[in-house]
Amino acid sequence: MIWLGRAILALVLLFLYAPIAVMVLMGFNASDLYALPFVPTLHWFSELAGNDRLIAASRNSVLVALVTAVVATALGTLAALALSRRSFRGKSLLRLLLLPPIAIPWLITGTAMLVFFYWTGIGRGLHAMILGHVALAIPYVVLVVGTGLASLRADLEEAAMSLGATPFGAFRSVTLPLLAPSLVAAALFAFAVSLDQFVVSYFLAAPGVTTLPVEIYTSIRKGFTPEINAVSTILLGASVALFLVFAGLTRIGGERERR
Amino acid sequence: MSAPSTPEGRRARPSIASPEGRRARPAIATAALLLPAYAWLLVAVFLPLGAMLFFSFLKTNPFGSKAPLVFTGAHYLAFVTRPYLVDVAITSLRLGFWTTGICAAIGLPTALAIARATRGRVRQTVFLLAILPFWTNGLVRIFSWTMLLRQGGILDDLVHLVLPGVGSVGLLYSFPAIVVGLVHAYLPYMILTCYLAVAGIDDALIDAARSLGARLPTVFATVILPLALPGLVSGSILIFVPVIGSFMEPRILGGRIGVTMGTVIEDQFTQAYNWPLGSALSFTMLGIVLAIFALFSSVLRGRLAP
Amino acid sequence: MTSGVAAMSTGSSNGAGRARDAIDDRGVAPWRRYAYNSTVMGDSVMSGSQWTRRDVARGLGFGVASAAAATWPGGARAAEAKSITVLNWQGYGTDLAAGVQHFKSATGIEVKHDYYNSEPEMLTKLRTNPGAYDVVLVNSARDAQAKADELIDPVDLGKLPNAAGLAPAFKTNPNIVIDGQTYGVPWVWGMNAIAVRTGKGFKVDSYAVFEEAAFAGRGALFDDAVTEIAVAALMLGQNINDPKDMKAIAARLKSFKRDVKLVWSSEDEWNKAFAAGAFDVSVFWSGAVTRAVNLHQQPVTFVVPKEGAVGWLDNFCIPATSTGKAAGLQFIDYMVSPQFYAEWAKSGAPASANAAAMAALPESDLNRQIHKPEYLDKLQFMGALPEDRRQAFNDLWEEVKAFYAQS
Repeated sequence: MIWLGRAILALVLLFLYAPIAVMVLMGFNASDLYALPFVPTLHWFSELAGNDRLIAASRNSVLVALVTAVVATALGTLAALALSRRSFRGKSLLRLLLLPPIAIPWLITGTAMLVFFYWTGIGRGLHAMILGHVALAIPYVVLVVGTGLASLRADLEEAAMSLGATPFGAFRSVTLPLLAPSLVAAALFAFAVSLDQFVVSYFLAAPGVTTLPVEIYTSIRKGFTPEINAVSTILLGASVALFLVFAGLTRIGGERERR
Repeated sequence: MSAPSTPEGRRARPSIASPEGRRARPAIATAALLLPAYAWLLVAVFLPLGAMLFFSFLKTNPFGSKAPLVFTGAHYLAFVTRPYLVDVAITSLRLGFWTTGICAAIGLPTALAIARATRGRVRQTVFLLAILPFWTNGLVRIFSWTMLLRQGGILDDLVHLVLPGVGSVGLLYSFPAIVVGLVHAYLPYMILTCYLAVAGIDDALIDAARSLGARLPTVFATVILPLALPGLVSGSILIFVPVIGSFMEPRILGGRIGVTMGTVIEDQFTQAYNWPLGSALSFTMLGIVLAIFALFSSVLRGRLAP
Repeated sequence: MTSGVAAMSTGSSNGAGRARDAIDDRGVAPWRRYAYNSTVMGDSVMSGSQWTRRDVARGLGFGVASAAAATWPGGARAAEAKSITVLNWQGYGTDLAAGVQHFKSATGIEVKHDYYNSEPEMLTKLRTNPGAYDVVLVNSARDAQAKADELIDPVDLGKLPNAAGLAPAFKTNPNIVIDGQTYGVPWVWGMNAIAVRTGKGFKVDSYAVFEEAAFAGRGALFDDAVTEIAVAALMLGQNINDPKDMKAIAARLKSFKRDVKLVWSSEDEWNKAFAAGAFDVSVFWSGAVTRAVNLHQQPVTFVVPKEGAVGWLDNFCIPATSTGKAAGLQFIDYMVSPQFYAEWAKSGAPASANAAAMAALPESDLNRQIHKPEYLDKLQFMGALPEDRRQAFNDLWEEVKAFYAQS
């Protein structure tokens, strides 16, 4: 059983990392058209060092993604608690309303935001991007945290309350620790949704203030060079480092319930 | 959408029986929990999409059209007036079902493997490794897939290294290529939601079933699957819904084959400049997706009901 | 060259004329009228035909949000007199580092950029960001539309020293001269025809190559309704801007199905697929072929077949809401200068509309070789399209693509 499980994991990780490996490899390949055979070079990394625009865009990307992850996880978790722990009228409708942000192609949502933000004076820029990204990430957070809540036993909280704990106290001391893995997972996904979100960012970026995905998207017409791979590789490396630090501090996906 | 609530309802039901008096003004508390998220969604998504819904009933683009504002429902008849769209929609649905199905078939065993074959640090690492690819740009990943999948590409080279003489396994510009790209893009959602659902399964439950003589497939069907259901359902929503509207994977990996509702809608915005038609198509698609989920959830509920 | 230019400019005069007739005679841009009529978006604030973003914001009670936006980084454009913002495709000349630097050191004006990925998006950005842009690059076929929506101002070519070198036929192109006024400064032009892989002995002299069994699965088309319909129209001897027999055009395009491997939508996608050997013949841009050869060393040549080619002309316009029109004109003047073109040509520019700039290129330059004067006789230029015809074009192309996708 254990070995079957590990074999499955190895295969899945191989599948997930195949294109990532290609991405990293091509950052070190000389051809600007990603043509083989592989000719190793550090050319694209040194090019990148002089590309202020791309570096600034990467910084903006990470900033927007961090804010999105924090805000969306907070708001989404509150909503998920209400949706899965409280009974009230109109619950199904509220659940249903989580679908449009996921279902309507981002291109349309992005255009709609552009027009609406223009009409209302919200305008474009990092603030508009954050506004849009958080909204797009909330449904993911609600679904992820909701799934986590569904597998948590509500009676523990009830027990705490019957022992005199206030609802908030019961939540903080019982539910929250058990929910932590879901929260972290939701935040990681919100971060990913934002980081990968090129369409909405593209419409909401102010002239001169762009994010990495926007840079990539706009350079499609002319052609993006392996500099993009180089910067992606660096970001990936930074993520891994962040993860290692993070993993040292918390126990993500670790034991959730004492067995 | 009510589907995820079913298993939760089963578990959370005891809480409803709790003394109401302990909850201070439950309605206000509920509203306070919901308000921030939904207010945010209202400003950033629902109102803008409301404007789009309004546009979808206009004859021509609200910006820059020459005719005065004319209302029409004609764009919602697009499937009648443009019969070729039926084929396109079927392609999109096929992509949705294939991608969701494969993600479920891979995601659930993976989640089980993480939950049962790993512990502590290893589990953390595997879990994070599964999400990490998501932190790279989607477009870059798709272009990497073109390199892997094309005839004479990296995959071809590797296969020929092991098995010289076999034909090309190049998939690029085909339906399976699009599915590969989409599965890759969405698999982590399924792994994650399934993991959250099955991580809490008690070992004792499985041991008990096995000690009663149940074989593995029986254990899977009677113990694991029902418990994993909320994860499978949320995962399917997170995958099926956006796949139907995806346009980058079909365009880049599909070549001539890559014509989907997503690309048709994209064209209405980027080429044809017909926002009304583009948004009408999106809302039609949203309707189809909701209908599929309604059907699915009623079937699911029928089977779960005792 | 001059006579050729004169000949091809007639090709688009019909379309432009028709579009001119269709322009709203009340002088109110339709999108403004829409807002005026709208009850959903707060009609009480719309008084008269002039309304601004700020009016709407105040009317909807978003004044606070608006003020907050201004304090955010990027929320409002900094009011520096010494900078202009250009709206263009990315990597299309204006953002060439050497050019931007040279312009700044010569004039002290900093050039910022915003990009678009499609022509409709360019128009949307102009409408939804009043005041944000000082120079915009427009395909001249869209000038009439932009002018009708009051997005661009007339330009006085006489104020631009370098405009003197512009080929006369470009200066008077009916796409650009609307109601007797000039709305754009011609910059670069090019052709859409066939790119053919060299070194394999292919002999291509007709678009019928896309129907040949020898090229089954070896062809690529440009994902652009106007271009592909023009290709079929050229094959059928019809006017590319106003084809009479759309059914025949659809049938002709559908007959390409066996050969079509890929419908590409960007130069980058084309380059990467071609470098990987995915196809041998393709509908492609003349300027992009010079880049594929000069910058990427690809074995490709450009063929203008016997049916002719589709011509296009890109020009610079001044957004009506620009706050730095004088600086914008200064930049445009530099952009059309032979000096800048010589710099840009090093990294693969399309053909310049400035005869002086083209003449300054060495005789052996691929750009000069590809953009041969004799081809000009075979060109039909993309002209302005009325909205319903543009929609019909897109519907037809969408249907053809769906047909290609069927297994």
